Amino acid sequence: MPAARRFLAVAALLLAASPALGQEKPLLRWGTDPIGGGPYVYEDGAGKETGFEWDLAAYLADKIGRRPEMRKGDWSKLPQLLDRPADAAGAIDIVLNGYEKTDELEKQYASTIPYYAYRLQLLTRENTGIAGWNDLLPAAGRPPRTVGVLEGTVAFSYMQKKYGDRIALSTNPDVATVMGEVADKERLDATVQDNPAATYYLGTTPKLRAAGPPVQPGFYVIYLRKTDTDLRDKLNAAIRDGLKDGTLQRVYRKYGLWSPDQEWLCYTQTGEWPADVDALPADDSTAGNPWPRMLSQLAGAAGMTVLLSVTSFPLAMLLGMLVALGRVYGPWLVRTPLGVYVEVLRGTPLLLQLYFIFYLLPSVGIALDPLAAGILGLAVNYSAYEAENYRAGLLAVPRGQMEAALSLGMTPLTAVRRVVVPQAVRVVIPPVTNDFIALFKDTSVCSVILITELTRKYNELYNFNRGYIVELAFVTAGLYLLMSYPLALLAGALERRVAVTRGGRP
Amino acid sequence: MIRVNNVVKSHGPLRVLDGVTLEVGRGQLAALVGPSGGGKSTLLRCINGLEPFQAGTIAVGDAISLTGGVTPSRAVLLNLRRTVGMVFQQFNLFPHLSALRNVMSGPVYALGRPRDEAEAVARRLLERVGLGAKCDSRPGELSGGQQQRVAIARALAVNPAAILFDEPTSALDPQMAAEVLAVMRDLARDGNTTMVVVTHAIEFARQAANVVFVLERGRVVASGPPDEVLK
Repeated sequence: MPAARRFLAVAALLLAASPALGQEKPLLRWGTDPIGGGPYVYEDGAGKETGFEWDLAAYLADKIGRRPEMRKGDWSKLPQLLDRPADAAGAIDIVLNGYEKTDELEKQYASTIPYYAYRLQLLTRENTGIAGWNDLLPAAGRPPRTVGVLEGTVAFSYMQKKYGDRIALSTNPDVATVMGEVADKERLDATVQDNPAATYYLGTTPKLRAAGPPVQPGFYVIYLRKTDTDLRDKLNAAIRDGLKDGTLQRVYRKYGLWSPDQEWLCYTQTGEWPADVDALPADDSTAGNPWPRMLSQLAGAAGMTVLLSVTSFPLAMLLGMLVALGRVYGPWLVRTPLGVYVEVLRGTPLLLQLYFIFYLLPSVGIALDPLAAGILGLAVNYSAYEAENYRAGLLAVPRGQMEAALSLGMTPLTAVRRVVVPQAVRVVIPPVTNDFIALFKDTSVCSVILITELTRKYNELYNFNRGYIVELAFVTAGLYLLMSYPLALLAGALERRVAVTRGGRP
Repeated sequence: MIRVNNVVKSHGPLRVLDGVTLEVGRGQLAALVGPSGGGKSTLLRCINGLEPFQAGTIAVGDAISLTGGVTPSRAVLLNLRRTVGMVFQQFNLFPHLSALRNVMSGPVYALGRPRDEAEAVARRLLERVGLGAKCDSRPGELSGGQQQRVAIARALAVNPAAILFDEPTSALDPQMAAEVLAVMRDLARDGNTTMVVVTHAIEFARQAANVVFVLERGRVVASGPPDEVLK
């Protein structure tokens, strides 16, 4: 009988391997976000991809007889790629990119056994006076600590739960940005990162310091479709073998990531998984009805959206009016630079302008805090559009109006101010209100500079409430509409009022 | 009061004013008549500094003079326009202001007079042109003739020594034109204001003008009392 069993095993192996004999090995398409940076998957100095997960993917694919192919995606949206059919264009088989084991994700996707045990590390720079976790708590005589985390991470929910309003917590999708803000630009006091990222950036960023002990152990797992049980079993076997025979230890040591936690991981993985439920990170964020909490958070973020709009748009109108007056009435030396101003601002993306203001201006000594940078960016960008609106409005006022004002003995400046501008403003009310509504929605772009407004909050929330993705999207869209529709009504009322005062009939 | 001496203005090769010379005495009403394109309106706009000219001189009163080819200073232009008012063919009332505020705009915005004083003057002037009941109406709510009468009141409000009328009744039907001309006759009878009127209303010129100038192809081809010139 043993002989027969061996024969069957060999036959099965041959069958499984037959595609490899007849043609190329099948692909193992693994989804990752290289922008997430070292040491997971990153480009080395020569522009070649490397990282411990790059090596891990190579090992796993080889072990299960497949060929690894990296597929890039936006980190926080990687699991959603699994919702698409496996044969769709750009589809992936697994998500392998420092994804933590969470109940939220496990409701929707299958997961492997853990391949790495991480902890959360607090990072800061020298002059902040932060030596440990308790130094994040508020103290008299200084503003609350500003802490940056990556969106959708366990670090975010851990910090929110543990510190709540006692720190100013902001999120960003880009780890290099957050590290830069802590170490060099000094607009963040600290960040909380998984220890692999912490190790990597401590090695590459001289001013960065680790503070306090690593906390809150958790596991990285591979996520895949619930229907791919066969693939999951194979990956589990491959990880288990790699842990046992030292292959993974070699990989982790290569990147300086080996720690006592991994020894323990090896130990638990010789038995059944999950071996020690108590070791899992506590996750009670899904307890009870989440809507009151989510709605109050969304409402708070909507407040930021309103604040950004109502502060930046009046500035944009003022700037735009000055630019338009310069372009219409100014001499050549004023007109030409203003023309360039308008074309440059209209012709480049708002996103890029915000990056410029927030991330590049500090290098010439102008370091604005996120809110100021956001307001300035929106105001400057929209001033170009408003300038064009007003210019059209100024040109629409008949020449005779100016002549009549001058013939009464008004100075040109008084004539413009008292006669031309009031008429021009009435002409441009419809396009200007239209732009206000557009700006209102464009405030979402400010999420790239550490501002948590409505769209960013939606992103944060759905990462931890994946059962409500659709509902959250509708509620968020509804909030936008709820705020912009009254604006549209107001615009209509203004237009009707002006139509009457101009002597025409609406 | 107004002395125009050999003024030349060209648009490219076209000589719109080809050496115009004329003089209007203080308190007189001068009518400029002649075919369309003869240069009448252009001359008026030159006198008010709204258009530059290439040669000759224009003097207003004793203190103000414009010289062809020289850009006048802001101070001269301001002084000129506070001395010489203008009434336009298309009225050019400010549509965003009521009739009263239109008339107040000169005293308040140009001369810096207090509002209440300017308002009293404006009400009196609107009364005088027969529109005391229309103070709060916007230009869009007035007929053409009413608008032009508001425009005359507006020009009078800054108390100019002279007023230039650029075809004030051309855009009006006969009845409304008659209302406007009546106001102008009334003004002429006072004799306080020098008036230069570009007009096609020959009957008005015959009855009200002290002196008539006929402009053709940019030249004064005839001048003198209306009885002699408008036979």
